[in-house]
Amino acid sequence: MKEWKIGDVILALDNISLSFGAMKVLNNISFDVKKGEIRSIIGPNGAGKSSMLNVINGFYHPQEGSITFRGEKRKEMDVHKAAASGIARTFQNIALFKGMSTLDNIMTGRNLKIKSNIFQQAVYWGKAQKEEIEHRYKVEEIIDFLEIQDIRKTPVGRLPYGFQKRVELGRALAAEPDILLLDEPMAGMNVEEKEDMSRFILDINDEFGTTIVLIEHDMGVVMDLSDRVVVLDYGLQLADGPPDEVRNNQKVIDAYLGVSH
Amino acid sequence: MRIERDIIYIILAFIALMVVVPWTAGQLSDQIFFNWPFFFEVAIGGLLSGVMYSLVALGFVLIFKASGVFNFSQGAIVLFAALTLVGLHELGLPMWLAMIATMGVMYLVAVAIEKLVLGKLVNQEHIILFMATIGIAYFLDGFGQILWGSDVKLLDLGISQAPGFYFDGLILINDFDLFAAAVAGVLVISLAIFFQYTRIGRALRAVADDHQAALSVGIPLNHIWIIVWTVAGLVGLVAGIMWGSKMGVQFSLALIALKALPVLILGGFTSVPGAIIGGLIIGAGEKLAEVFIAPMIGGGIEEWFAYMLALAFLVFRPQGLFGEKIIERV
Repeated sequence: MKEWKIGDVILALDNISLSFGAMKVLNNISFDVKKGEIRSIIGPNGAGKSSMLNVINGFYHPQEGSITFRGEKRKEMDVHKAAASGIARTFQNIALFKGMSTLDNIMTGRNLKIKSNIFQQAVYWGKAQKEEIEHRYKVEEIIDFLEIQDIRKTPVGRLPYGFQKRVELGRALAAEPDILLLDEPMAGMNVEEKEDMSRFILDINDEFGTTIVLIEHDMGVVMDLSDRVVVLDYGLQLADGPPDEVRNNQKVIDAYLGVSH
Repeated sequence: MRIERDIIYIILAFIALMVVVPWTAGQLSDQIFFNWPFFFEVAIGGLLSGVMYSLVALGFVLIFKASGVFNFSQGAIVLFAALTLVGLHELGLPMWLAMIATMGVMYLVAVAIEKLVLGKLVNQEHIILFMATIGIAYFLDGFGQILWGSDVKLLDLGISQAPGFYFDGLILINDFDLFAAAVAGVLVISLAIFFQYTRIGRALRAVADDHQAALSVGIPLNHIWIIVWTVAGLVGLVAGIMWGSKMGVQFSLALIALKALPVLILGGFTSVPGAIIGGLIIGAGEKLAEVFIAPMIGGGIEEWFAYMLALAFLVFRPQGLFGEKIIERV
Protein backbone atom coordinates (compact mmCIF):
# COMPACT_ATOMS: atom_id res chain seq x y z
CA MET A 1 0.00 0.00 0.00
CA LYS A 2 1.11 3.53 -0.56
CA GLU A 3 -1.27 5.49 1.64
CA TRP A 4 1.74 7.35 2.99
CA LYS A 5 2.11 9.55 -0.03
CA ILE A 6 -1.48 10.48 -0.66
CA GLY A 7 -1.97 14.06 0.40
CA ASP A 8 -4.80 16.56 0.74
CA VAL A 9 -7.62 17.13 -1.68
CA ILE A 10 -6.28 18.95 -4.74
CA LEU A 11 -9.42 18.90 -6.85
CA ALA A 12 -13.01 18.70 -5.67
CA LEU A 13 -16.12 18.56 -7.80
CA ASP A 14 -19.40 19.48 -6.11
CA ASN A 15 -22.83 18.70 -7.52
CA ILE A 16 -21.73 18.98 -11.12
CA SER A 17 -24.59 18.89 -13.61
CA LEU A 18 -24.06 19.16 -17.33
CA SER A 19 -26.58 18.96 -20.12
CA PHE A 20 -26.64 19.48 -23.84
CA GLY A 21 -30.08 20.77 -24.67
CA ALA A 22 -32.54 18.34 -23.16
CA MET A 23 -29.97 15.63 -22.64
CA LYS A 24 -28.59 15.38 -19.14
CA VAL A 25 -25.07 14.05 -19.38
CA LEU A 26 -24.01 14.52 -15.78
CA ASN A 27 -26.39 14.72 -12.90
CA ASN A 28 -25.25 15.98 -9.51
CA ILE A 29 -21.84 14.37 -9.50
CA SER A 30 -19.56 15.02 -6.52
CA PHE A 31 -16.18 13.54 -5.82
CA ASP A 32 -12.72 14.68 -4.96
CA VAL A 33 -9.19 13.84 -6.01
CA LYS A 34 -6.35 13.75 -3.50
CA LYS A 35 -2.80 14.70 -4.28
CA GLY A 36 -0.73 11.74 -5.37
CA GLU A 37 -3.50 9.20 -5.81
CA ILE A 38 -4.70 7.27 -8.83
CA ARG A 39 -8.38 8.03 -9.11
CA SER A 40 -10.44 6.06 -11.57
CA ILE A 41 -13.75 6.87 -13.16
CA ILE A 42 -15.58 3.82 -14.45
CA GLY A 43 -18.97 3.06 -15.87
CA PRO A 44 -20.66 1.58 -18.93
CA ASN A 45 -20.53 3.32 -22.30
CA GLY A 46 -22.32 6.65 -22.31
CA ALA A 47 -22.08 6.97 -18.55
CA GLY A 48 -20.55 10.44 -18.81
CA LYS A 49 -16.95 9.57 -17.97
CA SER A 50 -15.32 11.50 -20.80
CA SER A 51 -17.66 14.41 -20.18
CA MET A 52 -16.40 14.43 -16.62
CA LEU A 53 -12.81 14.80 -17.83
CA ASN A 54 -13.89 17.52 -20.23
CA VAL A 55 -15.43 19.39 -17.33
CA ILE A 56 -12.20 19.05 -15.34
CA ASN A 57 -9.98 20.46 -18.07
CA GLY A 58 -12.46 23.08 -19.17
CA PHE A 59 -13.66 21.84 -22.56
CA TYR A 60 -17.18 21.64 -21.11
CA HIS A 61 -18.71 24.16 -18.78
CA PRO A 62 -21.22 22.59 -16.40
CA GLN A 63 -24.54 24.39 -15.84
CA GLU A 64 -24.54 23.68 -12.12
CA GLY A 65 -22.08 22.88 -9.39
CA SER A 66 -18.63 24.08 -8.57
CA ILE A 67 -15.04 22.98 -9.02
CA THR A 68 -12.47 23.60 -6.32
CA PHE A 69 -8.95 23.35 -7.64
CA ARG A 70 -6.06 24.04 -5.26
CA GLY A 71 -8.43 25.62 -2.75
CA GLU A 72 -9.88 28.02 -5.29
CA LYS A 73 -13.58 27.53 -5.91
CA ARG A 74 -14.99 28.32 -9.34
CA LYS A 75 -18.01 27.61 -11.49
CA GLU A 76 -16.07 26.22 -14.42
CA MET A 77 -12.53 25.65 -15.61
CA ASP A 78 -10.95 27.51 -18.51
CA VAL A 79 -9.03 25.32 -20.97
CA HIS A 80 -6.00 27.51 -21.16
CA LYS A 81 -5.85 28.22 -17.45
CA ALA A 82 -6.29 24.54 -16.67
CA ALA A 83 -3.33 23.68 -18.87
CA ALA A 84 -1.28 26.52 -17.40
CA SER A 85 -2.00 25.47 -13.83
CA GLY A 86 -0.88 21.89 -14.28
CA ILE A 87 -3.69 19.80 -15.73
CA ALA A 88 -2.64 17.72 -18.73
CA ARG A 89 -4.64 15.08 -20.53
CA THR A 90 -4.85 12.44 -23.20
CA PHE A 91 -7.85 11.68 -25.36
CA GLN A 92 -10.02 8.65 -25.93
CA ASN A 93 -9.62 8.93 -29.68
CA ILE A 94 -5.98 9.81 -29.97
CA ALA A 95 -5.58 13.50 -30.70
CA LEU A 96 -1.99 13.82 -31.85
CA PHE A 97 -0.52 16.22 -34.35
CA LYS A 98 -0.29 13.64 -37.10
CA GLY A 99 2.01 15.39 -39.52
CA MET A 100 4.61 16.10 -36.84
CA SER A 101 7.31 13.79 -35.50
CA THR A 102 7.16 12.12 -32.10
CA LEU A 103 9.75 14.59 -30.88
CA ASP A 104 7.80 17.64 -32.06
CA ASN A 105 4.57 16.27 -30.65
CA ILE A 106 6.12 15.89 -27.22
CA MET A 107 7.78 19.28 -27.56
CA THR A 108 4.36 20.92 -27.96
CA GLY A 109 3.65 19.65 -24.47
CA ARG A 110 6.33 22.04 -23.23
CA ASN A 111 4.64 24.92 -24.96
CA LEU A 112 3.65 26.66 -21.76
CA LYS A 113 7.11 26.31 -20.23
CA ILE A 114 8.83 28.27 -22.97
CA LYS A 115 9.25 31.85 -21.92
CA SER A 116 11.16 33.62 -24.67
CA ASN A 117 9.03 36.15 -26.53
CA ILE A 118 7.83 36.20 -30.09
CA PHE A 119 10.64 38.42 -31.36
CA GLN A 120 13.35 36.25 -29.87
CA GLN A 121 11.50 33.28 -31.34
CA ALA A 122 11.26 34.90 -34.72
CA VAL A 123 15.01 35.28 -35.02
CA TYR A 124 15.73 32.10 -33.01
CA TRP A 125 18.51 33.77 -31.14
CA GLY A 126 19.83 34.06 -27.59
CA LYS A 127 17.27 33.02 -25.04
CA ALA A 128 15.05 31.23 -27.56
CA GLN A 129 17.85 28.97 -28.72
CA LYS A 130 19.11 28.21 -25.22
CA GLU A 131 15.62 27.38 -24.06
CA GLU A 132 14.94 25.10 -27.00
CA ILE A 133 18.00 23.06 -26.08
CA GLU A 134 17.02 22.82 -22.40
CA HIS A 135 13.57 21.60 -23.33
CA ARG A 136 15.01 19.05 -25.69
CA TYR A 137 16.81 17.45 -22.73
CA LYS A 138 13.57 17.17 -20.82
CA VAL A 139 11.82 15.70 -23.82
CA GLU A 140 14.60 13.15 -24.31
CA GLU A 141 14.10 12.06 -20.69
CA ILE A 142 10.44 11.45 -21.39
CA ILE A 143 11.27 9.56 -24.57
CA ASP A 144 13.64 7.34 -22.58
CA PHE A 145 11.06 6.85 -19.88
CA LEU A 146 8.40 5.72 -22.33
CA GLU A 147 10.88 3.60 -24.31
CA ILE A 148 10.11 5.23 -27.65
CA GLN A 149 13.65 6.17 -28.67
CA ASP A 150 13.35 4.38 -32.01
CA ILE A 151 10.41 6.40 -33.25
CA ARG A 152 11.75 9.79 -32.24
CA LYS A 153 11.72 11.20 -35.78
CA THR A 154 8.80 9.27 -37.23
CA PRO A 155 5.68 11.26 -38.12
CA VAL A 156 3.16 9.97 -35.61
CA GLY A 157 0.52 9.37 -38.28
CA ARG A 158 2.59 6.39 -39.38
CA LEU A 159 2.94 4.78 -35.96
CA PRO A 160 0.94 1.80 -34.78
CA TYR A 161 -1.91 2.53 -32.41
CA GLY A 162 -0.15 1.42 -29.21
CA PHE A 163 2.77 3.73 -29.87
CA GLN A 164 0.50 6.64 -30.69
CA LYS A 165 -1.08 6.20 -27.27
CA ARG A 166 2.39 6.36 -25.73
CA VAL A 167 3.35 9.49 -27.64
CA GLU A 168 0.15 11.12 -26.48
CA LEU A 169 1.02 10.20 -22.91
CA GLY A 170 4.49 11.65 -23.50
CA ARG A 171 3.05 14.93 -24.71
CA ALA A 172 0.92 15.18 -21.58
CA LEU A 173 3.92 14.33 -19.38
CA ALA A 174 6.07 16.98 -21.05
CA ALA A 175 4.01 19.65 -19.37
CA GLU A 176 5.14 18.20 -15.99
CA PRO A 177 1.52 18.23 -14.83
CA ASP A 178 0.27 17.94 -11.27
CA ILE A 179 -2.85 16.21 -12.46
CA LEU A 180 -2.85 13.88 -15.43
CA LEU A 181 -6.19 13.00 -16.99
CA LEU A 182 -6.08 9.75 -18.95
CA ASP A 183 -9.08 8.90 -21.10
CA GLU A 184 -8.97 5.16 -21.80
CA PRO A 185 -5.21 4.89 -22.21
CA MET A 186 -5.48 1.16 -22.84
CA ALA A 187 -8.44 0.97 -25.20
CA GLY A 188 -7.77 -1.37 -28.09
CA MET A 189 -4.48 -2.67 -26.76
CA ASN A 190 -3.34 -6.26 -26.42
CA VAL A 191 -2.35 -7.75 -23.07
CA GLU A 192 1.32 -6.96 -23.43
CA GLU A 193 0.70 -3.36 -24.42
CA LYS A 194 -1.71 -3.01 -21.52
CA GLU A 195 0.92 -4.27 -19.10
CA ASP A 196 3.42 -1.74 -20.45
CA MET A 197 0.94 1.08 -20.14
CA SER A 198 -0.02 0.05 -16.60
CA ARG A 199 3.64 0.06 -15.66
CA PHE A 200 4.08 3.57 -17.09
CA ILE A 201 1.07 4.85 -15.20
CA LEU A 202 2.30 3.39 -11.90
CA ASP A 203 5.81 4.75 -12.53
CA ILE A 204 4.54 8.23 -13.33
CA ASN A 205 2.53 8.16 -10.15
CA ASP A 206 5.41 6.78 -8.06
CA GLU A 207 8.39 8.64 -9.46
CA PHE A 208 6.92 12.05 -10.20
CA GLY A 209 4.14 11.97 -7.61
CA THR A 210 1.70 12.94 -10.36
CA THR A 211 -1.97 12.69 -9.45
CA ILE A 212 -3.80 10.61 -12.03
CA VAL A 213 -7.43 10.58 -13.01
CA LEU A 214 -8.05 7.52 -15.12
CA ILE A 215 -10.92 6.33 -17.25
CA GLU A 216 -10.64 2.69 -18.17
CA HIS A 217 -12.88 -0.19 -19.15
CA ASP A 218 -10.60 -3.06 -18.22
CA MET A 219 -11.78 -3.87 -14.70
CA GLY A 220 -8.69 -5.87 -13.86
CA VAL A 221 -6.48 -2.90 -14.65
CA VAL A 222 -8.69 -0.45 -12.80
CA MET A 223 -8.88 -2.53 -9.67
CA ASP A 224 -5.12 -3.09 -9.66
CA LEU A 225 -4.04 0.49 -10.27
CA SER A 226 -6.58 2.65 -8.53
CA ASP A 227 -6.55 4.00 -5.02
CA ARG A 228 -10.17 5.05 -5.25
CA VAL A 229 -12.86 4.53 -7.85
CA VAL A 230 -15.95 6.52 -8.70
CA VAL A 231 -18.68 4.77 -10.69
CA LEU A 232 -21.01 6.58 -13.08
CA ASP A 233 -24.02 5.26 -14.96
CA TYR A 234 -26.23 7.35 -17.25
CA GLY A 235 -24.84 10.53 -15.72
CA LEU A 236 -25.62 9.41 -12.19
CA GLN A 237 -23.09 8.61 -9.51
CA LEU A 238 -23.49 5.02 -8.33
CA ALA A 239 -20.61 4.58 -5.94
CA ASP A 240 -17.37 6.06 -4.73
CA GLY A 241 -14.68 4.35 -2.70
CA PRO A 242 -11.68 2.02 -2.69
CA PRO A 243 -11.70 -0.73 -5.35
CA ASP A 244 -12.72 -3.53 -2.99
CA GLU A 245 -15.69 -1.65 -1.69
CA VAL A 246 -16.83 -0.63 -5.18
CA ARG A 247 -16.44 -4.15 -6.51
CA ASN A 248 -18.92 -5.48 -3.98
CA ASN A 249 -21.41 -2.65 -4.30
CA GLN A 250 -24.76 -4.09 -5.40
CA LYS A 251 -25.68 -1.09 -7.57
CA VAL A 252 -22.41 -1.34 -9.45
CA ILE A 253 -22.81 -5.05 -10.06
CA ASP A 254 -26.33 -4.41 -11.36
CA ALA A 255 -25.19 -1.66 -13.69
CA TYR A 256 -22.48 -3.78 -15.19
CA LEU A 257 -24.22 -7.13 -15.32
CA GLY A 258 -27.78 -5.97 -15.71
CA VAL A 259 -30.54 -6.77 -13.25
CA SER A 260 -33.07 -9.48 -13.77
CA HIS A 261 -36.54 -8.26 -13.03
CA MET B 1 13.59 19.34 -44.78
CA ARG B 2 14.59 15.97 -46.10
CA ILE B 3 14.98 15.83 -49.84
CA GLU B 4 13.82 12.54 -51.25
CA ARG B 5 15.42 10.99 -54.26
CA ASP B 6 12.17 11.41 -56.25
CA ILE B 7 12.36 15.15 -55.87
CA ILE B 8 15.85 15.29 -57.27
CA TYR B 9 14.75 13.13 -60.21
CA ILE B 10 11.78 15.36 -60.90
CA ILE B 11 13.89 18.50 -60.85
CA LEU B 12 16.60 16.91 -63.01
CA ALA B 13 13.98 15.72 -65.48
CA PHE B 14 12.55 19.20 -65.61
CA ILE B 15 15.93 20.80 -66.25
CA ALA B 16 16.69 18.20 -68.90
CA LEU B 17 13.39 18.90 -70.63
CA MET B 18 13.90 22.62 -70.54
CA VAL B 19 17.50 22.50 -71.76
CA VAL B 20 17.69 19.49 -74.01
CA VAL B 21 14.50 20.10 -75.98
CA PRO B 22 15.34 23.71 -76.93
CA TRP B 23 18.94 22.82 -77.63
CA THR B 24 18.06 19.91 -79.89
CA ALA B 25 15.45 21.97 -81.61
CA GLY B 26 18.00 24.71 -82.07
CA GLN B 27 20.42 22.26 -83.65
CA LEU B 28 17.82 20.74 -85.94
CA SER B 29 16.37 23.87 -87.37
CA ASP B 30 17.78 27.26 -87.99
CA GLN B 31 14.40 28.89 -87.59
CA ILE B 32 14.64 28.80 -83.84
CA PHE B 33 17.00 31.25 -82.33
CA PHE B 34 19.20 29.46 -79.83
CA ASN B 35 22.38 30.44 -78.14
CA TRP B 36 23.50 29.90 -74.59
CA PRO B 37 23.59 33.50 -73.32
CA PHE B 38 20.09 34.04 -74.67
CA PHE B 39 18.94 30.79 -73.10
CA PHE B 40 20.26 31.85 -69.72
CA GLU B 41 18.76 35.26 -70.07
CA VAL B 42 15.32 33.75 -70.59
CA ALA B 43 15.88 31.22 -67.80
CA ILE B 44 17.00 33.83 -65.29
CA GLY B 45 14.21 36.18 -66.26
CA GLY B 46 11.79 33.30 -65.74
CA LEU B 47 13.26 32.32 -62.39
CA LEU B 48 12.97 35.88 -61.18
CA SER B 49 9.37 36.23 -62.25
CA GLY B 50 8.82 32.87 -60.57
CA VAL B 51 9.96 34.45 -57.33
CA MET B 52 7.08 36.85 -57.67
CA TYR B 53 4.64 33.94 -57.87
CA SER B 54 6.30 32.44 -54.83
CA LEU B 55 5.67 35.58 -52.84
CA VAL B 56 1.95 35.16 -53.35
CA ALA B 57 2.06 31.41 -52.78
CA LEU B 58 3.83 31.95 -49.46
CA GLY B 59 0.79 33.64 -47.97
CA PHE B 60 -1.32 30.60 -48.84
CA VAL B 61 1.21 28.18 -47.40
CA LEU B 62 1.41 30.06 -44.10
CA ILE B 63 -2.28 29.87 -43.42
CA PHE B 64 -2.60 26.34 -44.74
CA LYS B 65 0.20 25.14 -42.48
CA ALA B 66 -1.24 26.83 -39.46
CA SER B 67 -4.90 26.08 -39.79
CA GLY B 68 -5.21 23.42 -42.43
CA VAL B 69 -7.38 25.85 -44.34
CA PHE B 70 -6.94 26.82 -47.94
CA ASN B 71 -7.20 30.58 -47.62
CA PHE B 72 -9.21 31.80 -50.55
CA SER B 73 -8.76 35.40 -49.44
CA GLN B 74 -4.98 35.63 -49.88
CA GLY B 75 -5.40 37.44 -53.22
CA ALA B 76 -7.76 39.91 -51.59
CA ILE B 77 -5.25 40.40 -48.78
CA VAL B 78 -2.55 41.25 -51.31
CA LEU B 79 -4.84 43.78 -52.97
CA PHE B 80 -6.03 45.25 -49.68
CA ALA B 81 -2.48 45.65 -48.35
CA ALA B 82 -1.26 47.32 -51.55
CA LEU B 83 -4.29 49.62 -51.72
CA THR B 84 -3.84 50.67 -48.12
CA LEU B 85 -0.15 51.36 -48.63
CA VAL B 86 -0.69 53.49 -51.72
CA GLY B 87 -3.74 55.15 -50.21
CA LEU B 88 -1.86 56.19 -47.09
CA HIS B 89 1.04 57.38 -49.21
CA GLU B 90 -1.30 59.51 -51.31
CA LEU B 91 -2.68 61.04 -48.12
CA GLY B 92 0.77 62.47 -47.61
CA LEU B 93 2.57 59.94 -45.42
CA PRO B 94 6.16 59.25 -46.46
CA MET B 95 6.62 55.75 -47.91
CA TRP B 96 8.37 54.23 -44.88
CA LEU B 97 5.72 55.53 -42.51
CA ALA B 98 2.95 54.31 -44.80
CA MET B 99 4.55 50.86 -44.75
CA ILE B 100 4.64 50.74 -40.97
CA ALA B 101 1.06 51.99 -40.81
CA THR B 102 -0.02 49.33 -43.31
CA MET B 103 1.61 46.64 -41.20
CA GLY B 104 -0.48 47.94 -38.31
CA VAL B 105 -3.59 47.81 -40.46
CA MET B 106 -2.82 44.22 -41.49
CA TYR B 107 -2.53 43.32 -37.81
CA LEU B 108 -5.93 44.88 -37.16
CA VAL B 109 -7.38 42.95 -40.11
CA ALA B 110 -5.99 39.74 -38.59
CA VAL B 111 -7.53 40.55 -35.22
CA ALA B 112 -10.87 41.33 -36.84
CA ILE B 113 -10.82 38.09 -38.84
CA GLU B 114 -10.09 36.08 -35.70
CA LYS B 115 -12.65 37.84 -33.51
CA LEU B 116 -15.49 38.08 -36.01
CA VAL B 117 -15.07 34.97 -38.15
CA LEU B 118 -12.61 32.23 -37.25
CA GLY B 119 -12.98 32.51 -33.49
CA LYS B 120 -16.60 31.43 -33.88
CA LEU B 121 -15.63 28.40 -35.94
CA VAL B 122 -13.23 26.53 -33.65
CA ASN B 123 -13.38 22.77 -34.15
CA GLN B 124 -15.40 23.03 -37.35
CA GLU B 125 -14.63 21.12 -40.51
CA HIS B 126 -11.95 22.57 -42.76
CA ILE B 127 -14.44 23.04 -45.57
CA ILE B 128 -16.45 25.38 -43.35
CA LEU B 129 -13.39 27.46 -42.58
CA PHE B 130 -12.64 27.50 -46.32
CA MET B 131 -16.12 28.87 -47.04
CA ALA B 132 -15.52 31.53 -44.43
CA THR B 133 -12.35 32.65 -46.22
CA ILE B 134 -14.35 33.09 -49.44
CA GLY B 135 -16.55 35.50 -47.55
CA ILE B 136 -13.48 37.29 -46.21
CA ALA B 137 -12.12 37.58 -49.75
CA TYR B 138 -15.23 39.28 -51.10
CA PHE B 139 -15.42 41.56 -48.11
CA LEU B 140 -11.79 42.69 -48.35
CA ASP B 141 -12.04 43.20 -52.13
CA GLY B 142 -15.00 45.50 -51.70
CA PHE B 143 -13.92 47.18 -48.49
CA GLY B 144 -10.48 48.10 -49.86
CA GLN B 145 -12.02 49.71 -52.92
CA ILE B 146 -14.64 51.57 -50.91
CA LEU B 147 -11.90 53.01 -48.73
CA TRP B 148 -9.33 53.84 -51.36
CA GLY B 149 -11.21 53.95 -54.64
CA SER B 150 -10.92 51.62 -57.60
CA ASP B 151 -8.63 53.64 -59.87
CA VAL B 152 -5.33 52.18 -60.97
CA LYS B 153 -2.70 53.64 -58.69
CA LEU B 154 0.99 53.98 -59.22
CA LEU B 155 3.41 52.54 -56.71
CA ASP B 156 6.95 53.73 -57.11
CA LEU B 157 9.62 52.37 -54.81
CA GLY B 158 12.37 54.32 -56.51
CA ILE B 159 14.02 51.16 -57.75
CA SER B 160 14.89 51.22 -61.40
CA GLN B 161 12.74 49.01 -63.63
CA ALA B 162 15.31 49.32 -66.36
CA PRO B 163 17.26 46.25 -67.40
CA GLY B 164 20.90 45.99 -66.43
CA PHE B 165 23.60 44.07 -68.22
CA TYR B 166 25.51 41.33 -66.45
CA PHE B 167 28.31 38.93 -67.35
CA ASP B 168 30.15 41.25 -69.73
CA GLY B 169 26.94 42.53 -71.18
CA LEU B 170 25.92 39.09 -72.42
CA ILE B 171 22.87 38.71 -70.24
CA LEU B 172 20.14 41.21 -69.65
CA ILE B 173 18.44 41.17 -66.26
CA ASN B 174 15.87 43.53 -64.80
CA ASP B 175 17.26 45.13 -61.62
CA PHE B 176 13.87 45.28 -60.02
CA ASP B 177 13.47 41.54 -60.45
CA LEU B 178 16.77 40.99 -58.68
CA PHE B 179 15.57 43.16 -55.83
CA ALA B 180 12.32 41.20 -55.59
CA ALA B 181 14.24 37.94 -55.54
CA ALA B 182 16.45 39.15 -52.70
CA VAL B 183 13.42 40.20 -50.66
CA ALA B 184 11.71 36.86 -51.26
CA GLY B 185 14.87 34.99 -50.30
CA VAL B 186 15.11 36.76 -46.96
CA LEU B 187 11.42 36.20 -46.28
CA VAL B 188 11.60 32.51 -47.02
CA ILE B 189 14.67 31.80 -44.95
CA SER B 190 13.25 33.54 -41.93
CA LEU B 191 9.84 31.91 -42.29
CA ALA B 192 11.33 28.44 -42.72
CA ILE B 193 13.42 28.84 -39.58
CA PHE B 194 10.49 30.30 -37.70
CA PHE B 195 8.26 27.33 -38.52
CA GLN B 196 10.81 24.62 -37.98
CA TYR B 197 12.62 25.64 -34.85
CA THR B 198 10.51 27.79 -32.62
CA ARG B 199 7.76 27.24 -30.12
CA ILE B 200 5.35 29.39 -32.07
CA GLY B 201 6.16 27.57 -35.27
CA ARG B 202 5.46 24.27 -33.59
CA ALA B 203 2.28 25.64 -32.05
CA LEU B 204 1.16 26.74 -35.51
CA ARG B 205 1.65 23.27 -36.92
CA ALA B 206 -0.10 21.78 -33.90
CA VAL B 207 -3.14 23.97 -34.41
CA ALA B 208 -3.30 22.86 -38.04
CA ASP B 209 -3.49 19.22 -36.97
CA ASP B 210 -5.92 19.19 -34.08
CA HIS B 211 -7.67 22.12 -32.42
CA GLN B 212 -8.74 20.26 -29.31
CA ALA B 213 -5.39 18.66 -28.62
CA ALA B 214 -3.70 22.01 -29.17
CA LEU B 215 -5.98 23.60 -26.59
CA SER B 216 -5.26 20.83 -24.10
CA VAL B 217 -1.53 21.51 -24.11
CA GLY B 218 -2.25 25.17 -23.54
CA ILE B 219 -1.80 26.59 -27.03
CA PRO B 220 -3.99 29.67 -27.22
CA LEU B 221 -5.84 29.17 -30.49
CA ASN B 222 -6.93 32.77 -30.91
CA HIS B 223 -3.40 34.18 -30.47
CA ILE B 224 -2.05 31.69 -32.95
CA TRP B 225 -4.64 32.62 -35.54
CA ILE B 226 -3.93 36.30 -35.09
CA ILE B 227 -0.21 35.65 -35.52
CA VAL B 228 -0.70 33.62 -38.70
CA TRP B 229 -3.09 36.03 -40.34
CA THR B 230 -0.82 38.92 -39.45
CA VAL B 231 2.17 37.17 -40.97
CA ALA B 232 0.10 36.26 -44.02
CA GLY B 233 -0.94 39.91 -44.19
CA LEU B 234 2.69 41.05 -44.08
CA VAL B 235 3.71 38.56 -46.76
CA GLY B 236 0.68 39.79 -48.73
CA LEU B 237 1.93 43.34 -48.31
CA VAL B 238 5.35 42.42 -49.68
CA ALA B 239 3.73 40.62 -52.62
CA GLY B 240 1.41 43.58 -53.14
CA ILE B 241 4.34 46.02 -53.20
CA MET B 242 6.28 43.93 -55.70
CA TRP B 243 3.37 43.21 -58.02
CA GLY B 244 1.87 46.64 -57.51
CA SER B 245 5.00 48.42 -58.63
CA LYS B 246 5.16 46.17 -61.67
CA MET B 247 1.60 46.43 -62.88
CA GLY B 248 0.02 49.22 -60.83
CA VAL B 249 -2.20 48.80 -57.81
CA GLN B 250 -5.60 47.75 -59.06
CA PHE B 251 -8.26 45.10 -58.70
CA SER B 252 -6.46 42.59 -60.91
CA LEU B 253 -3.86 42.20 -58.13
CA ALA B 254 -6.39 39.99 -56.39
CA LEU B 255 -6.34 37.68 -59.39
CA ILE B 256 -2.63 36.89 -59.22
CA ALA B 257 -3.74 34.45 -56.56
CA LEU B 258 -4.74 32.25 -59.49
CA LYS B 259 -1.12 32.13 -60.59
CA ALA B 260 -0.16 30.97 -57.12
CA LEU B 261 -2.33 27.88 -57.37
CA PRO B 262 -0.09 25.82 -59.67
CA VAL B 263 2.88 26.94 -57.59
CA LEU B 264 1.20 25.49 -54.51
CA ILE B 265 0.33 22.25 -56.22
CA LEU B 266 3.92 21.85 -57.37
CA GLY B 267 5.62 22.84 -54.16
CA GLY B 268 3.15 21.30 -51.75
CA PHE B 269 0.62 23.20 -49.70
CA THR B 270 2.51 22.75 -46.47
CA SER B 271 6.03 23.69 -47.42
CA VAL B 272 7.59 27.14 -47.30
CA PRO B 273 10.65 26.12 -49.35
CA GLY B 274 8.22 24.27 -51.64
CA ALA B 275 6.45 27.54 -52.44
CA ILE B 276 9.77 28.96 -53.58
CA ILE B 277 10.94 26.01 -55.63
CA GLY B 278 7.46 25.64 -57.12
CA GLY B 279 7.50 29.30 -58.09
CA LEU B 280 10.96 29.00 -59.65
CA ILE B 281 10.01 25.96 -61.68
CA ILE B 282 6.80 27.53 -62.92
CA GLY B 283 8.42 30.88 -63.66
CA ALA B 284 11.34 29.41 -65.57
CA GLY B 285 9.21 26.74 -67.22
CA GLU B 286 6.69 29.26 -68.48
CA LYS B 287 9.23 31.56 -70.05
CA LEU B 288 11.44 28.85 -71.53
CA ALA B 289 8.47 27.01 -72.94
CA GLU B 290 7.11 30.19 -74.44
CA VAL B 291 10.39 31.21 -76.07
CA PHE B 292 11.82 27.86 -77.14
CA ILE B 293 9.04 25.30 -77.35
CA ALA B 294 6.06 27.42 -78.36
CA PRO B 295 7.37 28.22 -81.86
CA MET B 296 7.40 24.50 -82.60
CA ILE B 297 3.71 24.07 -81.86
CA GLY B 298 2.37 27.43 -82.83
CA GLY B 299 2.89 29.56 -79.72
CA GLY B 300 0.81 30.71 -76.76
CA ILE B 301 2.15 28.25 -74.21
CA GLU B 302 2.79 30.70 -71.40
CA GLU B 303 -0.84 31.09 -70.41
CA TRP B 304 -1.56 27.46 -69.71
CA PHE B 305 1.85 25.87 -69.16
CA ALA B 306 1.71 26.29 -65.37
CA TYR B 307 -1.68 24.65 -65.14
CA MET B 308 -0.63 21.70 -67.29
CA LEU B 309 2.37 21.18 -65.05
CA ALA B 310 0.12 21.35 -62.00
CA LEU B 311 -2.23 18.82 -63.55
CA ALA B 312 0.62 16.39 -64.14
CA PHE B 313 1.62 16.77 -60.52
CA LEU B 314 -1.91 16.15 -59.29
CA VAL B 315 -1.90 12.86 -61.12
CA PHE B 316 1.54 11.59 -60.15
CA ARG B 317 2.48 13.33 -56.94
CA PRO B 318 -0.55 14.90 -55.30
CA GLN B 319 1.32 16.05 -52.21
CA GLY B 320 3.62 18.22 -54.33
CA LEU B 321 7.39 18.25 -54.19
CA PHE B 322 7.79 19.03 -50.52
CA GLY B 323 4.34 18.60 -49.08
CA GLU B 324 3.62 16.25 -46.23
CA LYS B 325 2.66 12.86 -47.53
CA ILE B 326 -0.94 12.14 -46.84
CA ILE B 327 -0.99 9.21 -44.48
CA GLU B 328 -4.20 7.62 -43.44
CA ARG B 329 -4.38 4.59 -41.22
CA VAL B 330 -7.47 2.54 -41.78
